[in-house]
Amino acid sequence: MEASLLALWLVRLAFLGLLYLFLLAVVRVLLRDLRSAAREPGSELGRLVVVASPDGEPPSGSVIPLDAVTTIGRDVNNTVVVEDAFASSQHAVLTFRGRAWYVEDRGSTNGTYVNGSLVDDVEPLGFGDEIQVGRVRLRLERPRA
Amino acid sequence: MSALAGTRPAARRPAIGRLRPRFRRRELGLLALVALALLAGSLSLGWERAGRPELAGGGLLAIYLGTLALVHLGQVLAGRRTDQVLLPVVGLLGGIGLLMMIRLPQDLVQQSFGGASLGLAQAQLIWLVLALVVAGSLAIVVRNDTWLRLYKYTWAAAGIALLLATFVLGRNTNGATLDIRLGPVSGQPSELLKVILVIFLAAYLSENRPLLAERSWLVGPFRLPPLPYLIPMIAMWAIAILIVVVQRDLGAALLFFAVFLLLLYVATGRGLYVVLGLLAFVAGSYVAYRLFGVVRERFDVWLDPWATAQGSGYQVVQALYAFGRGGLLGTGLGAGLPSVGGQIPLPEVHTDMVFAALGEELGLVGILGVLGLYLVILERGLRIAASAADDFRALLATGLTLVVAVQALVIAAGNLKLIPLTGITLPFVSYGGSSLLANALVVGLLLALSDRGVEPPPPPRAPGGRLARLADRGAR
Repeated sequence: MEASLLALWLVRLAFLGLLYLFLLAVVRVLLRDLRSAAREPGSELGRLVVVASPDGEPPSGSVIPLDAVTTIGRDVNNTVVVEDAFASSQHAVLTFRGRAWYVEDRGSTNGTYVNGSLVDDVEPLGFGDEIQVGRVRLRLERPRA
Repeated sequence: MSALAGTRPAARRPAIGRLRPRFRRRELGLLALVALALLAGSLSLGWERAGRPELAGGGLLAIYLGTLALVHLGQVLAGRRTDQVLLPVVGLLGGIGLLMMIRLPQDLVQQSFGGASLGLAQAQLIWLVLALVVAGSLAIVVRNDTWLRLYKYTWAAAGIALLLATFVLGRNTNGATLDIRLGPVSGQPSELLKVILVIFLAAYLSENRPLLAERSWLVGPFRLPPLPYLIPMIAMWAIAILIVVVQRDLGAALLFFAVFLLLLYVATGRGLYVVLGLLAFVAGSYVAYRLFGVVRERFDVWLDPWATAQGSGYQVVQALYAFGRGGLLGTGLGAGLPSVGGQIPLPEVHTDMVFAALGEELGLVGILGVLGLYLVILERGLRIAASAADDFRALLATGLTLVVAVQALVIAAGNLKLIPLTGITLPFVSYGGSSLLANALVVGLLLALSDRGVEPPPPPRAPGGRLARLADRGAR
């Protein structure tokens, strides 16, 4: 009788123990994930994905990590050089100011578009928004965490 | 031929009819542990009851574990790179819930489906199997989110229609209007409403995030968001108050408003909005306390349940006793809750108070483990949000995660008398079809969102007008 009570008690503890063993296994998986994420350079503020680029520069589908100030245009001194007949040499600039990204047109001939509407002066951007410079379309994406 | 169509990268079509299985070693390993733990629990329960080693509800448990294995197999065959931790964690929570339902008196619930009468555990098993299938198929099928983000006002309208339907058709239980009945099935719309609400908020906030975060006008020392963006916030506050006033459903109101404030904070990073929201909530609560008996009763019971220990405070007092009986390691499954005169001492033990029942039979160690499982869901969900490609997906994943986490927190804290007790379910554990299915939607969507190889988000608004003309001109 005593032995069976002891065994029952052990089974009870085994249930709790297995619950924690499961948690331990999960935490190990989570830690491994976090470590592998930490190894990737993670200081970028955002990234541009080239959605469409008829003349192939920048190549469509490429990903450009962004600094706090990123200039776009045909001139070779821009951060993102856009080889497109409809882009100006100093076309637009993207800036990160504290909380959000902003796009500003630098007096380009054909204008800069966000989600299909012309940028007047300075406009806030959300991640997922699409910027068009000439015929090149770029999407602002969240940095990889 | 327009340049626009020509340059758009060809969307990757899902390979239907061509299986590319991808093995999920971690998920399989964790599921094996889940099965072991649940078998140990069942053995412990059966032994306690029969006095000799046997499995309690072995058949029900076998069906449940089989379903888990099938859902896992489905994920393997679908070959998507989705999260491998969520399914086992949810599986374990559901399994603990099932063990509890096997352990409780079966006549707490009588469901009849076409002549067959089902007890508590059988009904719960059916809902669990349905929930797992729903979550598993959502994780396989949902490959783009356009249908979620594009129709946000449709979703909002559906949510409000659901709310109104509850106001009109709802039935009263314990002074709160929660259920609506459609034919043989009754459901709690607020469970579905929380998912719809998160979808709408994610779409709305992601579209207006830059404006909410940056533009503001000054009123004295305060920076307020522009008026058109304040209005939905006021509407949300009004909905929460309305739920309290018309439905007397404090739990849902608390859950909705908390999730709304948290999402607003995540979207804008402005603490002031949260402070303003909290002040509005406190003010609303005070008025509700003054005006409505239900709110005052809940609040008074929270302050001093012993004053009305045989009346309105009975449930809370019994829950505290249950935690006390449980102690550190618990009485063991099946050994707690001695019935008093043939009656279960803890009202609503299978739904709202299931956390107290777990506290009694598994002890502090057990409920800390259960809370740990919710923490894992929280961590996983926020990781999925952090690695999302755009604002909508990030906010959607955050909102879905927070709905589950906050709900677990509110009801666990209510059971422990840390906050006034409000009647909502413990996600994945409590008995109830609506709750299980709504939370299955959450898990399914989270799994689908966690896929790294998911289709890129669509352009926020279709480029048209001058833009399309410009692109056309370039092509010629």
